[in-house]
Amino acid sequence: MKLEIDNKILTFDMTLHICHLYGDRMNIYGDDGNITTLVKRCQWRGIKAEISLVSVGERIDPKKYDFYFFGGGQDQQQVTVSEDLHKANRKLLKEAVNSGAVMLAICGGYQLLGHYYLTAEGKKLTGASVLNIHTVASNKRMIGNISLQINKLLAIGCQQSAKLVGFENHSGQTFLGSGVQPLGKVEVGFGNNGDDKTEGAWQNNVFGCYLHGSVLPKNPHFADFLITKALERNHGKVTLKPLNDELEWSAHFSSLARARQTK
Amino acid sequence: MNLLLFIAIIFAKLLKIAIKLGKRGGGTAAPGLLALKIYPRLIEDLSSKLENGSVIISGTNGKTTTCRIISSILNEAKIETIHNRAGSNLERGIASTLIDRTSLTGKIKAKTGLFEVDEAVLPSAISKIKPKIVILTNLFRDQLDRYGEVDKTRRFWKEALKKLPSTATIILNADDPGIAHLGHNLKAKVVYFGIEDETFGQKELFRSADTKYCATCSTLLTYELVFASHLGKYTCKTCQSQRPKPQIWAAKIRLLGIEKSEVLVRAQKERFSLTLSAGGLYNVYNLLAAVAAAKALEIDKKAITGGVEKFKAVFGRIEKFQIQERKILMFLVKNPTGFNEVIRTIFETNDKKNVLIAINDLLADGRDVSWLWDVDFEKLADKVKNIVTCGIRAKDMSLRLKYAGIDGATATENIKEAIEKIVHETKNGEVIYFLPTYTAMLETRKILTKMGNAKRFWED
Repeated sequence: MKLEIDNKILTFDMTLHICHLYGDRMNIYGDDGNITTLVKRCQWRGIKAEISLVSVGERIDPKKYDFYFFGGGQDQQQVTVSEDLHKANRKLLKEAVNSGAVMLAICGGYQLLGHYYLTAEGKKLTGASVLNIHTVASNKRMIGNISLQINKLLAIGCQQSAKLVGFENHSGQTFLGSGVQPLGKVEVGFGNNGDDKTEGAWQNNVFGCYLHGSVLPKNPHFADFLITKALERNHGKVTLKPLNDELEWSAHFSSLARARQTK
Repeated sequence: MNLLLFIAIIFAKLLKIAIKLGKRGGGTAAPGLLALKIYPRLIEDLSSKLENGSVIISGTNGKTTTCRIISSILNEAKIETIHNRAGSNLERGIASTLIDRTSLTGKIKAKTGLFEVDEAVLPSAISKIKPKIVILTNLFRDQLDRYGEVDKTRRFWKEALKKLPSTATIILNADDPGIAHLGHNLKAKVVYFGIEDETFGQKELFRSADTKYCATCSTLLTYELVFASHLGKYTCKTCQSQRPKPQIWAAKIRLLGIEKSEVLVRAQKERFSLTLSAGGLYNVYNLLAAVAAAKALEIDKKAITGGVEKFKAVFGRIEKFQIQERKILMFLVKNPTGFNEVIRTIFETNDKKNVLIAINDLLADGRDVSWLWDVDFEKLADKVKNIVTCGIRAKDMSLRLKYAGIDGATATENIKEAIEKIVHETKNGEVIYFLPTYTAMLETRKILTKMGNAKRFWED
């Protein structure tokens, strides 16, 4: 009972400041559902959520944002974004990470949070280097449903499921360096590179993966884990009020079953 | 006639008979596939016999409808035409269509070829058929697991178009910046079509807009008006490139519900007052493309007007069924832009509707359902009375609706059960709007056929 009251006090007047990084250019794979999910799951708990789009030619304000979302885009957009990152935002993103901000990047965005992405044409697109990873284009397209066992070190304490599920569609092979942990171990699908069974990466509060779906709506444990971490940047320890996630879990488990079926 | 070609035709015709006898489908693909195995140059050889040459249509949305409007016009002009009707738009479908109309002596019983072609097949179709006219309707994100990214498609299209000679005509959508840009530096003649009736535009780009950057300098385009997705009136403030002025345009549009529209089409000084049995702004684009093709084929005004009037909506795009005094209107949904346009057309009025959505994730549907998050379902909030989701990805669909502010969408994977449920929940005389993906549509058709309510699509 006391916890319930505490929660109300804790979430009262809280605002989650979200930066949609290059959201107008990196949005082709249906990843915007993640933004919708962050906003809704905050609002349902009385937490305000504000989204700002920061795109090419603009600078991020590392003091302002608790959460950065960076989705997947087309090759040409990746080139433009990589060039823009170099102007100022690369440095500012590092500042943001040091301030405890949470980042979630998918596919093309994930690749650009690493050191570089070496394209099929041999061009090196440099990234923000907030994840100690690099990506190399391959001639194999890794497409299909994907599920993974979440890395235990991540401590997403969740009774319902210890898995993440989504859809991957990439030809880049990502390799993790030291100090960076995989998000999980691949059960169905290719994952980071199709070889080492790892998928995704996390380092500090920066998370990247290849999961489309969108990933957050049908992995509500992951969504709440990220929201909590982002709110804690300014509000000390946060415990989120539980929501009725019946539909979220039924989509989660039916997608997991579908992934196993299409293995 | 070449002996191998002869054998290929015979085998394909026999296979088609066997398929029809076994009631295993329309035989629109397998015979062609077999014939191409026997004689790979079949498409080149047979299409070259078409006296008036061929028209090829490709693009993300509107291929089939555009093709059908042209067919209706050619029919009105009494020009014998062959076309791949039932949506078999891969090479095998084209081959099957050609074989159907070729006699065993190798004579082809038509003058003009009309082929809708899958986006990925366009380059090989162009090099094999050597068309007189190529129409590109639009290019949107669509089943990325199958087609890849939009930019990539545009690149290989450009290479294919460059090969067309100066005797060919390329008909392009001026309002789609990615399509319009393809018209630069080509040997072939280029004709643009577009919408000029400004009462329909909105100021904001749609969530699923893809080509909103200048193809020349990558700057974000400035839109004066947006008609759908990234289609509209645009200019680039950096390099000054802009939407080409269309030679065929819709000067005045009246959308009269989901099944009718009236359009004043202008072709330079010529005016066509056309009545189309299809609603929705997206069908105005299909109409414009068809008129542009008819003009390029030098069809007279009377046949164009009459042909458009006789056009009937296409298989699966809008179909009607009747179950226990409830009317079911079925609209195929394939990709975000198509879905958004269907939503815009159906939910134009404010009354609450009964809706059934069927989402499958098989190869022909797109295996990735992420695209549902690019559809503006938020526009349905407060406009649904009963809503049921079904298909393999029913749960994903219901979840999407929840985050769009639409609660209580029951999810049942089984399509038959879902139909029964929504019919039960819907009052006598009311309409049920049924929105399936491709394979869900085929499945539904079988279910309804068993219930005695639908005719088989390959009969038409």
